[in-house]
Order: sequence, then structure tokens, then C-alpha cells
Amino acid sequence: MIMKNRFIYFIVILAATLASCSESFTDRPSLSGATVSNYYNTADEVRAATSTIYSGLAWSGYEARALDCIGEILAGNEHTYNGDDTPFQLMTVSATSVRLSDSWKAFYKVNGWTSALIATFEQKIADGGDAAILEPAIAECHFLRGTVYFYIARIWGHAPIVTDPGAIALTGDFNIPRYFQEDVLRFALEELQLAEAGLPETDVPGRVTKYSAKGMMAKLYLYQKDYANAKAKAWEVMESGQYDLFPDYRAMFNSSDNNNNIETLFAVQHQCTMNPWGSGNQLNPDRGPSSLQTDEASMWELYRPSMDLRTAYEPNDKRRAGSMMEHGWNMADWKPQKLPQADGSFSPDDAAYNDFMKDGFRYDTIQDVKQGGTLNGTRSTIAKYVVGPGQKYGGEQVIGMNTGINFMMQRYADILLIYAEATLGEAASTTDATALEAFNKVRLRAGLPVKEVLTLNDIMKERRVEFAFEGDYWFDITRQGFEKAKQIIEAQNRGTISGIVRVTGFTEDKMFLPIPASEVLQDPLLNEDPQPYYTK
Amino acid sequence: MQNKLLRLTFLICLAAVMSTTMLFAQQRTVTGRVVDDNNAALPGASVVVKGTTIGTATDLNGNFTLPVPSDATTLVITFVGMDAKEVPITAGPINVTLTMSAEEVDAVVVIGYGTIRRSEVTSAIASVKTEEIQDLVVTGVDQALQGKVAGLQVMNNSGQPGGGVSVRVRGITSINSNDPLIVIDGVPFTNNNVENTGYDGLGGSDGQTQNSFLATLNPNDIESIDVLKDASAQAIYGSQAANGVILITTKKGKAGDGKVTYDFSYGLQQVGRTLDVMNLREFAEYQNSVIAELGSGYIPTEEFADPSLLGEGTDWQDAIFRQGYTMDHQLGISGGKENTSYYFSAGYFDQKGILIGSDFKRYSTRFNLDSQVKKWLRAGISSNITRAIQNVTLADAAESTIWWATLQNPLIPVRNLDGTWAGNYTVGGYTYTADNPVATSNSRGNKGVNSQIFGNIYADVIFFEGLSLRNEFSYQLGLQNNMAFQYEANIGTRSLQAQLYDSRNNSYYYAVRNYLNYNKNLGKHKLAFTGGHEAQYSYWENMGGKKVDLQNNILDMNAGGTDKLTWDLTGGKGDWAMESYFARGNYTFDDRYSLSLSYRGDKSSNFGPNKKWGFFPGASVGWTVTNEKFAANWANVMNYMKIRLGAGAVGNQNLPGGAPNPPYTSNVNFWPGPTGFGQVGTASTNFIAGIANPDLGWESVITYNGGIDFGFLNGKIDLTVDLYKKVTSNMLLFSTGPALLGIGDAWNDLKAPIGNVGQMTNTGIDISLVTRNISKPNFSWNTSFIFSHYKNVLDKLINESSSIDGKLYYDNYLITHTVPGYAVGTFWGLVTDGLFRTETDLANSFPQFGSAVSQNETWLGDVRYKDVHKDQVIDSKDLTFIGSPIPDFTFGLTNTFRYRDLDLSIFLQGSYGAEIFNFMKWQLERMNNVYYNQSTAVMDRYTATNKDGALPRFTNTNTNNTAMSDRYVEDGSYLRIQNITLGYRLPGTVINRAQMSNLRLFVTVQNLYTFTNYTGYDPEVGSYNNSIRLMNVDAGHYPNPRTYMGGVSVEF
Repeated sequence: MIMKNRFIYFIVILAATLASCSESFTDRPSLSGATVSNYYNTADEVRAATSTIYSGLAWSGYEARALDCIGEILAGNEHTYNGDDTPFQLMTVSATSVRLSDSWKAFYKVNGWTSALIATFEQKIADGGDAAILEPAIAECHFLRGTVYFYIARIWGHAPIVTDPGAIALTGDFNIPRYFQEDVLRFALEELQLAEAGLPETDVPGRVTKYSAKGMMAKLYLYQKDYANAKAKAWEVMESGQYDLFPDYRAMFNSSDNNNNIETLFAVQHQCTMNPWGSGNQLNPDRGPSSLQTDEASMWELYRPSMDLRTAYEPNDKRRAGSMMEHGWNMADWKPQKLPQADGSFSPDDAAYNDFMKDGFRYDTIQDVKQGGTLNGTRSTIAKYVVGPGQKYGGEQVIGMNTGINFMMQRYADILLIYAEATLGEAASTTDATALEAFNKVRLRAGLPVKEVLTLNDIMKERRVEFAFEGDYWFDITRQGFEKAKQIIEAQNRGTISGIVRVTGFTEDKMFLPIPASEVLQDPLLNEDPQPYYTK
Repeated sequence: MQNKLLRLTFLICLAAVMSTTMLFAQQRTVTGRVVDDNNAALPGASVVVKGTTIGTATDLNGNFTLPVPSDATTLVITFVGMDAKEVPITAGPINVTLTMSAEEVDAVVVIGYGTIRRSEVTSAIASVKTEEIQDLVVTGVDQALQGKVAGLQVMNNSGQPGGGVSVRVRGITSINSNDPLIVIDGVPFTNNNVENTGYDGLGGSDGQTQNSFLATLNPNDIESIDVLKDASAQAIYGSQAANGVILITTKKGKAGDGKVTYDFSYGLQQVGRTLDVMNLREFAEYQNSVIAELGSGYIPTEEFADPSLLGEGTDWQDAIFRQGYTMDHQLGISGGKENTSYYFSAGYFDQKGILIGSDFKRYSTRFNLDSQVKKWLRAGISSNITRAIQNVTLADAAESTIWWATLQNPLIPVRNLDGTWAGNYTVGGYTYTADNPVATSNSRGNKGVNSQIFGNIYADVIFFEGLSLRNEFSYQLGLQNNMAFQYEANIGTRSLQAQLYDSRNNSYYYAVRNYLNYNKNLGKHKLAFTGGHEAQYSYWENMGGKKVDLQNNILDMNAGGTDKLTWDLTGGKGDWAMESYFARGNYTFDDRYSLSLSYRGDKSSNFGPNKKWGFFPGASVGWTVTNEKFAANWANVMNYMKIRLGAGAVGNQNLPGGAPNPPYTSNVNFWPGPTGFGQVGTASTNFIAGIANPDLGWESVITYNGGIDFGFLNGKIDLTVDLYKKVTSNMLLFSTGPALLGIGDAWNDLKAPIGNVGQMTNTGIDISLVTRNISKPNFSWNTSFIFSHYKNVLDKLINESSSIDGKLYYDNYLITHTVPGYAVGTFWGLVTDGLFRTETDLANSFPQFGSAVSQNETWLGDVRYKDVHKDQVIDSKDLTFIGSPIPDFTFGLTNTFRYRDLDLSIFLQGSYGAEIFNFMKWQLERMNNVYYNQSTAVMDRYTATNKDGALPRFTNTNTNNTAMSDRYVEDGSYLRIQNITLGYRLPGTVINRAQMSNLRLFVTVQNLYTFTNYTGYDPEVGSYNNSIRLMNVDAGHYPNPRTYMGGVSVEF
């Protein structure tokens, strides 16, 4: 009897075991994601994928800090005390620089993401996906991919080109050579041409269009000194009538209200959030003055205007106050305040600070620093992309380091100045009416008198102040050739109020930056001579 | 657990036999007491009339009363782990002293899905008993194993209460988690970490977020620990066993009267040593001198004109360290009646860390019950409920509390005169902006509350003698609440916003196991078989939110601001399932030859359709040489010798962090918040979460083990030596390459495909030596020595230039870089060759990273690097191997002395030959600005007037001096006086009056002194977040505290 019980028990256990473990027990699809085969069927789903590559998630490694270091400090427009960044000021950048590896990573990450999406969407079309939905998204990816290679070619010169990272990863062959800079530029151009062909005429604000591609191509042609094409592409943008200068220069840079305004051809899209990290614009803390810091908004002015740039403005240039804060600069809406102590009282310094700022933020180099003053080495602070002390204090929303203002990578003013420069071409000067009109349009907004004759020097001076702190000046210097670059750089004052500092001995090898040391470790071919990418 | 069960069964059987015998035989009654060689009572010892089945067991006080037949002459007294003794039956009370058996050869060893006698073990298994670790000051049992088991490397990753512990069985098995499988009474735990939120959400660096899982369990409940070290032993656990298996058996009730135990200890903790940084006078002199060198653009600080007028300034290290404590209460109740035994306990542990902002509390209960329900059915339950509350301070990371405490300027006070926190100060035109670590630590926090419920229910059905079917159901339920918070506060001119991140993580796990056990002894043949089926499923989900502007700093979501734009809400879920079949056979012939074979097949949801199943065989043989006839006359010198050989394959499915779930797929995932055009109110932005690899399969580990066990001089000396080779192949790794591929393994990368990539080999030797130097009735001295050595080589990766990298400080600095041919975790950098001290040196210099010879670039006083690549330039090609974090050997030495009722143990442990990358030194000797404090070493830097200075010159333009180099690599060898404990057991006459059966008092000092040349806080650095990529990298390491503790154990 007992034995029988036990065997019944045994049979029951056995049956239960076998029943519980069906084939599907170890087949567990993702609980939190969709698969490519059952997704990317609607325009929203597809566009929500390319959306990521417009965001700070992709770009912030370049846009935050590297852009200041490469585009501005190196070019003599900004000054810094930060140990990681002073080598850019003194032209002693080494291959181990964090800023170099961060920006390198950011550009190639955009390349990886766009390449993977292009492959995914092309496969989806091959599998019967809706080409009308998928093809414009592929063109967006080509735009972004072309744009990053344009940056790569300008920063590093000869550089690797990768189009299928997944396949390379699985083979394990990471020996990818550097290709000639002209080939990298050509690759970027071809990507932009694919974008130009596939992008729509118009789209919702912020999304790139055919004309965004044309604008970027115009700039690229200019760097190739292909003035005819540069002029033609700039003209196509001007002629489209879709873009114009935004009337208030200063307002473009201090509020996300003017995101994707009429002047924007391409902008990194930001959302004011900490999650996911990088989605927000993080220039507010690195540029804003510590006297503007509140519990909502971090500020530590890592980068400041250089003494040299402060002398570059013509009198009464409205762009000066739009670009930097100097003694007397104010913003009535921003009312930063210190919080009370736990017992509700204020320390004497905090009380004085609150009183000083009660009618709005004042940039003041005389006031005690603990009571609202600002006293840095160049007696000035960058205003562009500083959106203020946070919502509680009369500004817009700021979450710690993050704001929601989009960063304009190319705006219509650039198109106008490209047009003028391309018209000038190799000539010493021009009086071309359309070129002058384009050029003077930019000056008129700045409240400056018009010019009757244009020289390259005029255009370069205009570009410097128009695009100050937007990361373009280093490229403007270097594209003029080594001799001119050396002359510009060695003449600059890279010091502070207490002393002039000049860089001497600028050499040709500093025209391009070194490839990050960590990359060379894993890809020793990067140390070798560049190769052609195109066979002809 | 099993040995207790056996004993219990034996007693139950005896009792049954006795009750029948008593009725018939003519009888007299003998009484007596059984004690060990320390005169401590031995409860549960068996007392049997020789040649009969008549017997009994001793009670709690070691006493027995046994009716014996009138013709009986001799009693046989046995106790597990002790030598059996025969004593003549005499009229008076019979007092018997048992001594520890020579080699404990017949102790029962817990193995997977069963137990085995030590004499039949053919693989590498080490055992630790609770007595060996009971006096150590530990939060979790993982810490207690340090220096106790040969082949087991235990390092505290942080001195943080409840902080992470790296436990490595025989070297580094995997690039991913190296956590061994821990099985507690049949419940498996594959992940030895609990994760807290970290600090990066509040701004700045994250700190270590991986804390010890075992700290959340009460170590006082543990009876024994068995470590399965080689694959022939591990193979029964198949794909979960590659990192080794640690089997933990908790305490069970013993037959006899109920027993109440109470243990209490209290200890004070302090920091062992602090770093030498400059005081205010020294700093002022330093800044004056540096500004003179810098020239234009810098103005000397007027206040520093005469440094001798200044005081010492703030000692920031003194401000962040404090006296900590540990307090431990443990109440245990156990016993056994008739067919049932029980054990239940309640524990409370409280620790206050030596660094501000860190503490740990644990409440725990355990309940174990075993019952012989029917003759054919035994059933039981073991269950655990714990709740651990941990406050984790920001440590072991760049910009952590310790980091800032060494760098913050002595000029700045902790608090202003009006009592407010001091922050950035402007003195002499310079604004000092480094963080106030005391204020920050007081204003922010990371709290984890971790509740764990787990247990095992079993039923053993006995079909007939030798054959039984065991059914087990194991479960785990984890509830974890993590908070990262910041209070509204003012620190200098900086205002902090009140913020709260609050997340809940729920997880559950179950396993259903059914397996047959068959045991048969036929004369000289002993046969055992185990085989069965197991199904496991694991599920987790989490949800977290954030709010800011908390009213009154109340840490509750509802107290936060209502502006939804500042809100944050995230979630996630995942699961995993595995089905397995396993079998093991053991055969022993004549106690001379033993053979063990095992096999397991695992089918996991983690692998691609082409590679779902993994198969893991193991085999081992043993030969007990001393049981051969020819060895009989060796017995005087060598009484025991056994040779063991084994080989086996185990697997690993530990995936790299951030792997898609399941890992072989490419999915579309969604960002937790708005990105790009994904504004509030619109659909979430998506991204491709990985590149698919349907051929993804198991990581495989194959081990070969050869070992010899010796017993010399009749048990005076036991020596065990094991040699092993362990080959890990098909490692599960993201196939990442250089960043230019655009794919990677960071959270915001397009995830590289996970592949089976590369191979790694560990070869090593484990030695364990136990000597019983003196064994007199009143005095004994035993020594235990363990020695572990292994060599790790990464044989290959996806290609020769591919590497395993470790980065620090927001991932900006490459510290470790392992290419094939080197040990993992290898430090990578330039080799220094002194300084440029003369014009001739400069003239003969090679360009260093493109720098010219000039004041701003390479100049007098700069570091000269070796041209390793011999191409007359110093560049990234000259980066090379500059040190290894892996020790040549680690060791532990325990001496225990007993004199009458006094016991003394002295435990030393150490590590030899490992190097440490002292990243703090990089920061403290950086000399590139005039704001941060520096180590006093910078006072001896190169200057025009100190051309023999040991350190390079100050420069804020030439960054080459601070490139990663051997300048920061130090010898990390150490010998630590880990623990000295003096105990006193009160004599029986005293305690019996108080109705106690045992009372012991003890005092302990732990981590008394460390002999080392390392200049950081503590040479026991461990691994950052338990990762092999950052081992022995010191970025402001939370040092292990020194503890002075006293305690008492009472037994009623």
C-alpha cells in the first residue's frame, strides 16, 4: 500500500514536470521592446527613430565643451582656466585630450546610428515596407551622416570612413585606414547629395529639408573652393523663400521659444530633461556666470569670451550684447534669488545678493562677488545659449545642467555670407549687388551701416562676430590656409585683463587635430599614411 | 545541512530501536558526559553499546543516560568530525573526551544536489565551518571568507558598510560578472550585488553602485560553507557554475532540549590612515612660488604674502572621517523533538561607517524546519526574511567625498562664521570653486532598502532503502527601494535644489527541481547516483520617478513640485528561463578508488535559436594511496594520502551590462524621456537597441584539476595541494572596437552585437596547510595557512588589436587596456624616464605628443618618457603595459591558541605582487592650477632653484606630464594583521548556576595594522563596481576601517 502511494506520487511529479516544461518555456521575447519586423510601419514610428539622431544624445559629445574648445578657444574667441582645456588656448593639444575623444566619438556615433538605420530601413523596404515612409527617413540619415563627415574632415583632416559598423564588428577586423581629407569631403558631399535628392521640400519645423542639404553643400563647396557650386547652392536656398533672418538676434540665443525659427537650416534638437542624459542642451552651465546660478540652474562659466574677441566688434553692434555679458549687461526678466537657510533667515551676503538682483539680473564687475558680482579674468561672460536661472526666477525651464534650447548648426545668416563669399571667389573685392545685399542684410540686423565693397577680410570679420561662440571660427581661420592662419593666431591676445598672452610658433601640423590616442590603440592603421577612398 | 539530517535520522532510528529493546532486555543504566578537548559539551554525540544497536545521544550539556544489557562491556562514542572512542562500562559516571579526527576524512561535504563523504571527494572542494569565521567583524559572509579558503580571492571593493565585495574563485573566469553561484540551502543566487541609484542623477560622478548582496543576509545563521572550485565538482550546476559555486548551509535544530543562544557584539571603527596634503601655510608658499613661475596673467595673492602669519587651515580629511561603530544582536532558538527539528533566529545588525553619510542596518529572521513525516517521507522548509537599509556615500570615484576632501583648499572653512556652509571663496582675485565635501555629503544621499524573502521547500520520498526522490521548490522574492536625494541647501554661493529619485524594483524567481538519489553499498563497492530535472524562471521589473522642489525637504513624491515638465518616470522589465537535466554517478571501490561522473544539459532563453542548448560534462577520479596494503607501514609518518584528478566543462551566461534582453536579438527600444522631436505629449523616440547575432551561444569554461591530500604524523599536519588550469572560451562580449565604428556598449550607444569572442586562461595552485602544533588537554595551538596563486592570460580577442578597457573619471581616462597576451585589467600608459633637468636633456629630447621644446610645451622639469617604440618620437605607440592588478599570490595565516578556558586567534592575510593605479596621486600631484590643494610631495617639485626635485615642474600648458604613466603605478603588496581575538569561556561551575550551558566573552581588534609601501589610504582597493576592468584603481577609495570590538555569546 505504502509503495503504491509512493509510485503514484512519483508519476504525478513526473507528469507535472513534463507538463510544465513545454517548448515555449525557454522562448522569451523582449518584454520591453518591439522587433524591427513588427515595427517601423508608420511614418510616426519611422520618424521617431531619426528623431534620436537630431538630439543631444547623439551630438552632445561635440556640442558641449568640444565645440567651445575646438571651434572657439583654439580660434582665440574664448578663454578658459579649465585644466583640460587650456591646451586649446595655448595650441598644445595632445592626442590624449578628452575633448578630442568626446567629439570623435559623437561624430562617429552619429555615423553608426545613421548607418544602422539606413541598413534597417533599406531591408524593411526590401521586405515590402512602405518606401514612401522609409525613403525620406533614409535621406535624413544621409544628411546627418554627410554633416558629421564634413566636421570630421575639417577637424582631423585625413580620417576613416565607415559605412557598415555592424558587419565590421562581427568580423573583428578593425584595421581601418585614414582616407585623404579630400576623399572624406567628397564622401560627405555625396551623402549630402543623396539627402538633397531624397528630402522633402518642406517639413515640420526643425526637420531637415532639401534646402538644409543644399545649405550644408554650399558650405562644403566653399571649403573645396568650388565657388560656383557654393554660390549656386546658397542661391537655391535663398531663392526658395523658406528661410529668412530672425529679426531679434539676441532672442535666438536666450530662449527655447525661438527654437527652429525661420533662420534655422539644421539644429540639434534639445528637450529640457535629465532623462535620458544628453537630451538637454548643456551649454547653460558651462557658459553662464556663477552670479546667475540658482538651485534650478547650474552655472560655472568654464568658458568666457576672450580679450581678443571683445575688441573685434564694431561700435553699436547689437550682436555684442546678444553674444556676451559685460559690465552693465542686464536681463530684467531673470531674477535669481538665494534660498533662505533652514530656519528661514538669510545670511548677510545672500540678503545683499537678493536685493541686488530683485529687479532683474545685472552683470556687474564692481559688486562684491558674494553679493551678486562677477569678476572673471576677461571681465565678460558668454550670453549665447544661456537661457537663465530657471523658471522660478523668471527664466525658462532649466533642470540642473539642462535646458531645452536647440543649438543651430547652420542658420540662414551663414547662407547669406556663403553667397557673398562665393561670389567674391578668388577676387580681391566685389561690388556684386546680390552679394552686397546678402552681406548687408546680416549687418543691417546687427544695426550696422551697409558696405559698398566687399573683401575677404570684411567677410571674415563679419563671420567672426556673427557666429561667435557657435563653433565655426576655427574652421574659418584654417580654411584660409596655413600662412593666413598663423598670422591671425599669432596676433591674438589669449590672456586676461591682467596680462597679454600670445601664442608663438604656430606650425602647420596644428592645422588639424590629432586623432585620439585611444583610437590608435585599437586601430594602428590610423598611425599610417592616409589612403585614397575612391579609386578615381 | 545534510550531515545534521543524517545524524538526526540516526538518532531517530536509535530511539526507535531502543524503545523496543528496553522492553525485553535485562538492564542496568550507565550515565556520563561527552566533551571535546576544550572541555566543551558535545551535544548529539552518539553513545552505542559495542556490537549492538543499543544506544542514545548526548543531550545539550553533553550528558547521556543509557540503559544497557547486563552483559555489555564497552561503549562506542562517535561524533561527526571527531575520532570515535571506545570506553569500558564502569560503575560511576563515564566521562569521555573526544578529539578532532585527524583529517576529518569522514566529514560530510555538501555538493550540488546532495552530499558526499570527504573521503570520497575526487574534486577540489574546500569547506569552512562557522567557528572559523564567527569572531570576524564582517557585514556579510563574503567578507569573512577572505584569507580562509585557498583559491578564493576576496577583496572589499569599498570600506562602505555593506559595500561591494569581489569574490573570485580561482582567478578571473569571465570578462563579465565573476560572481560565483551562491546556493543557500538550495536557493541559487547568480548575482552577488545589489545596486543602488548612484549620484550621477544629482550631478557629478556616480560612485560605486554595486553593493554586496550577501551583506543583506545574516552571517550568524550560517553553519558551514563549501566551495566547489573545479569544473568536475561544478559541472552539476552547468551553465551557472563557471565562476565557481559556494554552497551555504544554514543552521538546523539538533535533537534534544531546546536551546536558546544570544550573541552580542559592539565595535568602534576608525580610519587607519590619511593622506599628507598641504596645510594652509604650505599651500600659500606653493601658490606664491607657482604664480611667480606663471608670469603674466597671474597676480600673487596679497593675503599669502607672508605665509608664516597663516594658520593650518581646514583639515578636510579630518572633517569627513568620523568614528563609526558596528553592533550585532543575534537570538537563536533551536531544538529537536521526536521526528522534527527546528531552528529560528532573529538578528539585528547596525553599522555606522567611518566616512560621513554611510551606514547600514539589517533586520533578519530565519526559520528552518525538518520533519520525518512518515517512514517514507521527509519534508522541510528553510526560509529567510531580511530587510537591509543602506546609506551609500559617494566614494571610490572621481569627485567623491574623499577626492574633494584631499583637493579642497585648506583656505576654505567647513562652515562660515555665521554657521552656513562655506563654498567657493574669492581671495586675492582667485575664486576657489572646489566642492565642500562635508556640505555636499550632508545635503545629498543614496539610500537603498532591500527586502529579501527566499527559501526552499522540499519533500524526500523514500521508495526503499537507498532510493529516494527529492522534490524541491525554491523561491526568491526581492523588493528593493532605491532613493537618491538632495536637500534644498546653500553651499557658499551655490544653491541646491531639493530633488528625489525614488525607484522600486521587484523581482521574483522560482525553481522546481525533482531528482532521484540512489545509494548502494555492496561490500567493497559503494555506488551513488543522482539525476533529475530542473526548471528555473526569473523576472524583474522596475519603476522610478523623480520630482524636484520638495516641500520642507520631505522625501516623498507628493511633496515635490507639480510642474510636470520637471517630472521623470521610467520603467523596465525583463525575464529569463532555463530548463535543465542533470545526472551524477559516484563509485568507490574498497575506499581506495573513487570515480565521479556528472552531466548537465541547460536550455536557456538567453541564446539564439541555433545555440539554445549547452552541455556540461564533468569527471574525476581519486586514489587513496594510504588505503593500499603497501602503504600500511607509512602510517607512522604519512597516515593519509589521496591523489585526485578531474576535468570538466561548465558554462556561463553572464552577459555584459546593457545587453539587450534576450541578448541575441536586435530590438526597437524606447527612450525613457523626450529626445529629439519627442516632446511632451508626443510618442516616445525610439532607437535600434543592438545588432542581432542569432549564433550567440554559451561561454564555456573547461577546467583541469590535479590535487593531493596528505596527512602526516597522525593528523598533526594536513596538507592539500591543488593545481589547475582553467580555459574560458567563447566569452560573451560586445564586439566593440574603436569608437570610429560608432557602436559600443554604453547606455546611449548603438549596441554592438554580442558575440562569443576570445579566450582566457587561468593556471594556478592552491595550498592549504593545517598543523596541530600542540594538543594538550589544557593547551592547544593550531595553525592554518592558505596560499593561492594564479596567472591570468587573455589569450585572444576578436582580433590582436582588440582590447578590454577600463576607463575612469567620466570615462575620460583610459587606465586599463588588455590586449591578448596580457592579464586582464593590465594598466596601460607611458614609461617615465626621469625628468628633463638640463638643457642637454632637452636638446636630446624626442617630440612628446607633438610638443615642441618651449616653456609652454616640453621644458625643463617635465617628465621624460621612454621611446618604447624606438621611433624617436613619443606618441601613442609608446603606450605600453605598466603594471598588473593581479597579485602573484595571496595568503592567510591563522593561529589559534587555547589555554583552559581562554582562546586566542591571530589572523594575518595579505597579497603580494599586485600593483595599484593610484589615480588620486594623479590628481594630488597634478600641479596644473593654483586653486586645488595638492599632496605635500609637490613641495619637492622641479623648480629653477630645486633642480633635483623629485616631482616634475608645475605647468598649466603642458599636459604631457599628467598622461597616464607608471608615475602613478605603485606596489600594492601588503600584509595585514586582519584579526586578533581573545575569548574567554566561563567555567561550567559558574554558568550552570545561571542555568546557562555556555558563556563566552571576547574582544577583537580587526585590521590592526597593514604593512605596505602603498601611499594611498588602503592597499586593499578591490574592483570598481566589481568589474575586472578597474581592479586596484584607487580614485579616492573608501578605506577598510580599523575595528575594536567586544562581544558575548550566551547559550541557555
